[in-house]
Amino acid sequence: MSKALRQNGLLLLLLAFLIGFPFLVGWLTDSSPVGIPRGDRMVMRGESVRWQAVLIEVYILAILAMSYNLLFGFTGVVSFGHALFFGMGSYILGLSLEYTGLDTGLALTLGVLAGIVICGLLGLLIGFVTLRLRGVYFAIFTLAVAEMFFIFFGRFQLTRAEDGFAISELPLWLDPAQNRLTFYYVALALFVATFLFIRRVVKSPTGAVFEAIRENEDRAQALGYNTLRFKLLSIMMAAMIAAVAGMLQVLLNKKVGPELLGVSYTVDPLLMTVIGGVGTFAGPVIGATGLHLLDVFFRNSAISIGSFTIDIATVWPLLLGGIFIVVVLIFPQGVVGTWRRWRQKARSPAQRAGPPTARPRPKEAPE
Amino acid sequence: MASKRTSVLAIAAILIALLAFSFIRSGSLGNFGITVLSGLFQGMLLFLVASGLSIVFGLMDVLNLAQGSFFMLGAYVAYDVQHPGGVVDLTAAVPDPNLRFVLAVIVTVLVGAALGAVLERGLLRRLYIRPVFQLVLTFGVSLVMLELVKAIWTTTPFSWTETFGVRENFFTLFDQRFSTYRLFVVGIGLLLIVGIALLLNRTRIGIIIRAGVEDSEMVQALGINVRVVFTLVFTLGCAIAALGGAVAAPFLGASTTLASTFLLQAIAVVVLGGLGSYEGTAVGSLMVGLSIAVAQDAAIGTSLSMLPSITPMLLLVLVLLIRPSGLFGEAR
Repeated sequence: MSKALRQNGLLLLLLAFLIGFPFLVGWLTDSSPVGIPRGDRMVMRGESVRWQAVLIEVYILAILAMSYNLLFGFTGVVSFGHALFFGMGSYILGLSLEYTGLDTGLALTLGVLAGIVICGLLGLLIGFVTLRLRGVYFAIFTLAVAEMFFIFFGRFQLTRAEDGFAISELPLWLDPAQNRLTFYYVALALFVATFLFIRRVVKSPTGAVFEAIRENEDRAQALGYNTLRFKLLSIMMAAMIAAVAGMLQVLLNKKVGPELLGVSYTVDPLLMTVIGGVGTFAGPVIGATGLHLLDVFFRNSAISIGSFTIDIATVWPLLLGGIFIVVVLIFPQGVVGTWRRWRQKARSPAQRAGPPTARPRPKEAPE
Repeated sequence: MASKRTSVLAIAAILIALLAFSFIRSGSLGNFGITVLSGLFQGMLLFLVASGLSIVFGLMDVLNLAQGSFFMLGAYVAYDVQHPGGVVDLTAAVPDPNLRFVLAVIVTVLVGAALGAVLERGLLRRLYIRPVFQLVLTFGVSLVMLELVKAIWTTTPFSWTETFGVRENFFTLFDQRFSTYRLFVVGIGLLLIVGIALLLNRTRIGIIIRAGVEDSEMVQALGINVRVVFTLVFTLGCAIAALGGAVAAPFLGASTTLASTFLLQAIAVVVLGGLGSYEGTAVGSLMVGLSIAVAQDAAIGTSLSMLPSITPMLLLVLVLLIRPSGLFGEAR
């Protein structure tokens, strides 16, 4: 009981930090968290506003990675086309805002609802076709469908092909170019909601079946569960959550383009989930935060060793791929899992030997 | 056996329909011939990528998502060896471009084989107990290979500029000029189709491979070191994919998009033919190659410019919807 309280206490502390973050940065760097007023409009300038954008991107990627983890980490289904749901969510919202001619508030509501529903159905359909087969078919199929949509929207004239189109108008209260602080809290709220939702689902009896499928699908089936139905539920939820992340991305950048369907939005959540810790609640969040912040820091930096200059921004993807392979091979449980195992290892011999001060702990044999 | 006959009939029907459509559209025998040769050319290139993918999957249950990257790497290595500048410059040592092309192909195959062996021995071998991670790992390897190629040869695509004998020749048939190089590549593809079939059906190692596709644990139980066969087959698959890149480069150039394009097309082929089935892969390559060529022909002058690039994916989706185990695959 006390352990649960302590863990939640840490989460609440973190949440309080994130809520106060814009003001904290504003206070530290002496900048306004709401931007600078110019006439009746706001100009988004200053450190606080800039860091809000960085954190909003972290939330978006974390939501995407958490949805990927629900599928890959908790249900054991590999998807290589998560960008499909991310991108389709963004395209549907963008189309609704730009091409229906409705009032912006109505178009926003409609677009969000339609995007979530359509992406859920798309996930359901893809799952229905392939999930009865061996796992590899689902991976292949998602890869192919995502690529097909990417090529299609890259050449589709109505949505301006590869240039994409910009969102001209948003409701003022949500517009990140006017009220970024509000948008920051909306993104934070969605991030927290996703975290709690996934934790609730995984800790429910349904989640227990998900994990049973991951561990041994045949056995779960033998116990009488309709595993197909549970896998479909998992992919549908993951698709819907990924669509929400895509919509946030559209609202933040006020632009829709085929790059949102591109392979990087499949690769990113995969890397973040695996490096952070597959099948853990904190893993994808830690992965998304760490990788995106590193990306931001490295974007414009170069290391000089003597006369030899390395532009980190260009080497970074290569480095990341290398880290990914090392993690998959050596630390398959990622940051969170490895840390947990360390703590367990450090604790268990101490418990067996009584208080740690009673006698010197024997050196551990190298593995 | 009955299902096999339906498969053969279905394939014949689809092929005839494709060819008939193309023939009626083209109007002349010459144009039709060009479409067919182009389809065969693309089909053979696809076979070079897909054969390794299929046999490795059948034997080891590993879908190597880096197979397309080996093709791309092959194209870059061959380009680099052939042309002045770059990582190795052989223009001074080997002035004859024909000889240099042969050398380029040999170097490419060796590089592909070496990297394939390293990938299987060093990385995949540790993960046979966790198959999901194998899939994820090959995906990661494909990313690393892409980034490596970008780091070495930059992101600007190379178009082949060096001229040499067979690449420039043409022959005339039905008042149309045909590229001899395409015929040359088709010939190489046919040679490999027959060669691999002979290897699988007529040699001891082929028997072990086929037995391993059926049940690798049983083969291991019979006292055969399956792991060595795994490494061998994986290495061979990667080398053939690299060879494909090398012979494609004089026509397609070298670019980073080759990896994903050929991976997806090869996956379409393998699923169409049935995962793990060799004859299915051979037939599937020709079908996908021909349908791409027909789609390219059909897309000229229409607004459907995305049609040829989507065709393999459409085929893949269609096959998975109707017959997920593929034309020659067993239902599992």
